[in-house]
Amino acid sequence: MFGASRSIKAVDNVSFTLQPGETLGIAGESGSGKSSVARALVQLTRPTGGTVSLGGAPVTNLKGQRLKRFRRRMQMVYQDPYDSLDPRMSVSDAIGEALSVRGLPKTEHAAQVAQLLERVKLPATIAQRHPNQLSGGQRQRVSIARALAVNPEIIICDEAVAALDVSIRAQVLNLLKDIQHDTGVGYLFISHDLSTLRFMADHVAIMYVGRIVEYGTSEEVFSNPQHPYTRALIAAVPSVTRRGERRLKLSGEPPDPGNPPSGCPFHPRCPEAVETCRTERPELLTIGDAQKVACHVVQWGREKTPKTEVTA
Amino acid sequence: MINLPENELTVAFSASETTVLSQPNFWRRAGRSLLHDPVALCSFAFILLLTVVAVFAPLIAPYDPLRQFSNGLSFVGAPVAPNGHFLLGTDASGRDVLSRLIFGARVSLLVGVVATGLASLIGVVIGTVAGYVGGVTESILMRFTDMVLSFPILLFCVALIAVTGPSTRNVVLVIAFAYWTYLARVVRGQVLSIKEREFVNAARTLGVGHIKIIRKHIIPHLIPTIIVYGTLGVATSILIEASLSFLGIGVPLPQASWGEMISEGQQYFQSAPWLLVAPGVALILTVLAFNLAGDWLTDLLDPAVQEMGS
Amino acid sequence: MPTDHVELALLNDAVVVVDNLSVAFPSRSGSGEVIRSISFSVKAGQRVGLVGESGSGKSLTARAIMQLIPAPGKISAGEIHVGDDLTLATVASAKKWRGTSVAMITQDPLSSLNPLVRIGVQICEMLRHHRNASRADARRRAVELLNAVGIPNPKRTMRQFPSVLSGGMRQRVALAIAISCNPRLLIADEPTTALDVTIQAQVLDLLEKMSQEHNSAVLLISHDLGVVANFCEEILVMYSGKIVESGPTQDILDGPLHPYTRALLTSVPSMTEELPARLSSIAGSPPAGGVDVVGCAFAPRCSLAQAICSEINPELRQLDDPFHDVACHAASDALWPSVRSQ
Repeated sequence: MFGASRSIKAVDNVSFTLQPGETLGIAGESGSGKSSVARALVQLTRPTGGTVSLGGAPVTNLKGQRLKRFRRRMQMVYQDPYDSLDPRMSVSDAIGEALSVRGLPKTEHAAQVAQLLERVKLPATIAQRHPNQLSGGQRQRVSIARALAVNPEIIICDEAVAALDVSIRAQVLNLLKDIQHDTGVGYLFISHDLSTLRFMADHVAIMYVGRIVEYGTSEEVFSNPQHPYTRALIAAVPSVTRRGERRLKLSGEPPDPGNPPSGCPFHPRCPEAVETCRTERPELLTIGDAQKVACHVVQWGREKTPKTEVTA
Repeated sequence: MINLPENELTVAFSASETTVLSQPNFWRRAGRSLLHDPVALCSFAFILLLTVVAVFAPLIAPYDPLRQFSNGLSFVGAPVAPNGHFLLGTDASGRDVLSRLIFGARVSLLVGVVATGLASLIGVVIGTVAGYVGGVTESILMRFTDMVLSFPILLFCVALIAVTGPSTRNVVLVIAFAYWTYLARVVRGQVLSIKEREFVNAARTLGVGHIKIIRKHIIPHLIPTIIVYGTLGVATSILIEASLSFLGIGVPLPQASWGEMISEGQQYFQSAPWLLVAPGVALILTVLAFNLAGDWLTDLLDPAVQEMGS
Repeated sequence: MPTDHVELALLNDAVVVVDNLSVAFPSRSGSGEVIRSISFSVKAGQRVGLVGESGSGKSLTARAIMQLIPAPGKISAGEIHVGDDLTLATVASAKKWRGTSVAMITQDPLSSLNPLVRIGVQICEMLRHHRNASRADARRRAVELLNAVGIPNPKRTMRQFPSVLSGGMRQRVALAIAISCNPRLLIADEPTTALDVTIQAQVLDLLEKMSQEHNSAVLLISHDLGVVANFCEEILVMYSGKIVESGPTQDILDGPLHPYTRALLTSVPSMTEELPARLSSIAGSPPAGGVDVVGCAFAPRCSLAQAICSEINPELRQLDDPFHDVACHAASDALWPSVRSQ
C-alpha cells in the first residue's frame, strides 16, 4: 500500500527540435523509451527533468486552464486502433468530444464532423457507426480526424500504423503526408519500423535505452548510418530486395531499462566496443557537418580507434 | 526490382472501404440468447410475474392480509388447512396465507430492489472515486470498505436494528449499508483497468475534464458489472430481509413478510405444514430466479464487453 | 482425387498435403467459408512461406492442419494428410501426430507456454509423454535443447517461469519444445511479429538452423514479405481464403504475376531505393471473412479487373514457368503481355 517504488529512467536526457510542417521520426526497440517520450510530451506523465517548449514558451508542468489550452496544440494518434476509440461512442460522438473541447457549440458539430471525415477520406455515413463496425484502417482514420478536430500544431503518431495491414498502412501513410501538406502540421512519428520512418521522416532520432544514440536527417541516418546500433538495426530489417545477403546479426537482448549497463548501454552487444565504452558514457556530438552520434568509436574516428578486446 | 507505371495501382475505384464487422444489435442478441436458454427464460418470467404480483397486490390478493377471520381458525383455534375459501390456508391468527404471501412478495421485492439500488449507488460512487483518484484517497476508502466488509452481515444488521429499532426503512438502510462494499471493491477494480485503456488516455490528451471522462467514458463501461451485481444483490437482499424478519427484527408485525411467515411456520410445522411450505417455496424460487437471471446476464454481458471493446 | 494426390505426394516426399481444404464458420447468410478450397503441399526439409493480410485465412490454415480450429468453425470440405506416412488428419488422429510429426509455434509464446508451470517441467512433460523418456533422460535432453536454442543458462532457465523471460527468450523456449520430438513439419505462425527487429533476426536464424539440423520442414506464416523472402524457398500468397499465387521465392519476388502480390510488394517503402512521394496502395479493404464472393475476391480493388473477374473465380494454375502458379484472369490473358513481361 505505501511501499517504496523504484523509478526507472525511461527517458534519459533527450533533446530534439521539431520544425513546423516537418516530421521527426523516433526509432527504437522495446525499452528504448520512445513511447515514454510521447507520453511525457502530451503530459500524460510528468517529465522528471528538463523542459519542453512549444513556440518558445515552456509547456512542462502546466496545470488547469493553461494545460487545457496546451492540450489542443499537441495531439496524439495511438497504436491500437481497437482501444483508442471508446467502443460505446459513435464516430460522430468521438469527434464531437474533441470539437466540444475546442469550444464549438453542439449545433455546429455535424458540419465539422462531415468536413473532418472528408479530410481523412472516409464516407460521411461512417459518422453514425460504432468502432466495432469499422476496420482497423478506418478506426485509425477516425483517430486522425479526432486529433485534427482541435487544430493542433503537432500530431504525435505513436506506432500509429504498426497494427495495420501492409496495404492499409500505405493508405494511411499517404493520408498523413497529404494532411501535412495541406495543413502544415508537424509530426512526431514514433515507430520501430525503419522503412516507414524512411518514408515519413525528415529527421530521425534513434533511441536506445532511453537515450538518443544517433540523430540527423533521414538521408544521413539511413544512407550513412554511423552508430553501431543504427547499423545493426538497419541490417536486421528483412528486405525483399536485399534478400540472401549475409547480414550483420546482433546478439544478446536489449538491457533492462531499470538496470542499464555501465558506460555506453550498448557496449555488451556492440561489435566495435572498446574499453572506454564500458566506463564512460558517450555524449551526443555532431560528426563532421552531418548527423549527431553518441559513440566513442565514431567520435574518435573509426580508423583511428585502437582495436582492443573488451571484456564486457 | 519491379518497375511499374506510377499510377497503375493507386486508387482505381472510388469505392470506399467496406465495413468489416457487422455486429448484431445487442438487444436482438440478448433476445435470441434468452430464447435458447429455457432456464433463464423461466427465471425472467418468474421475476416478471413476481413484479406484477407485488405491484398489483391489493388487486390480486383475495383478502386483506391483516384481517383475522373468524372462520380462519378451527374450533380449537388452530390454523385452517387450504380449502375453497383460503387457497393456501390460514395462519395462527386466522389470516389468509395467500394474501399474506402476496403482500409479502411486495415487501421482499421492495426491500430487495431499494436496498440494492441504494447499495449500488454508494458502492459505485466510492469505488469510482477510489479507482480514479487513487493515492491516499483510494487507500483510505478501500481500508474503510474492508472494515465494513469484515463485519458479518447478519450480526451487523442485528446490531444496527437493535440500536435503530425495527422498521421497513431501517431494514432497507441496514442491508444497503452491508452490501455496498462488494460493489465498491469490484467497481474500483474495473475503474482501475478502464482508466488504463487507450481511449481514456486519448480523452485526457484531448483535454477533456475529469468529471466528463468519468461520466462519459468510465461509468458506461461499468454498467454491465452494475447490472450483474445488482441482480445478484437483489437475491441476497431478499434473503437477508427474510432472515431478519425470521429473527423478529425485520419488517415489524403485523405486516406480512416471508421471513416472518417462515418463522411462524416453523413453529407449527407438524400441525400446519402449509404455513412453512408456502413462504419457503416462494422464497426459494425467488432467490433462485434472481440468481439464475444474474448468471445469464453475466454470460451475456461479459463477452459483449470484450467484443464491444475489441 | 485424394488418394491420387496422396500417392503423388508420397513420391515427392511430402510431409503435409492439403487437398481442397475449406474451413467454414456457421453463418446465417451463405456458407460462412473463411478458407475456400486451397491445396498445397510441403516437402521434407522444405521452407515454405504463407503470406497474407488479416482475413486471408493464413493463420486458420495452420490451425486447420493442427486440427485446432477454434469452435464453432470446422473443416467443411477437403482433407489434410500429415507426417511421413501421410495419415489423414482428424481430431481423433491428432493425438498421435500432434507434437511429434507436426509441431507449431505461435506469435505469442505466453499462450503456448503455461505461465503457471516452470519451463523445465513443460519441456520434460513433452518429452516423457511423447518419447516415454525417463525423468533423468528427459531433464538431460531438455537442457540440451535449451542450449541448442541459445538460452544462456539452461539449468537456471529450467527452474524459471515463462513470464520472467523476454519475448525473444520465450520464443526460443517455445521452439525448443516444438523441436524436441523432431517433427517432420514445424509450423511457425507469425513467430516474430511481436518481437523487436534485432531479436526477430536472431529467432529466424535459429529457426533456420534448427530446421536444418533436425531436417524439419517449416511452414512460416507471416504478413511480412521481407521475413518470408529471406527465409522461405517457396511462397504461397493468400487472399480472402484462397491461394492467389504460389511458386519459388525468386520467381515470385522478381516477377509477381498476381496484381495483389505486386501491390503488396510495392506498398512497402524500400530501405535503399529512392522513395516515391506517395506509396502505391490498394484502395478499399479485403472482404469480410465468411461472406460469399462471386468471382475473384480481389476484383473490387484491382486495377486490372475485367468483366469476367466479377463472374468467375480464377483457378490457380501454371502459366509459363513451371511451379509458378497464379489465380488471375488478367495474368493468364494472352492480351496482357505487358503484365507478364515484367
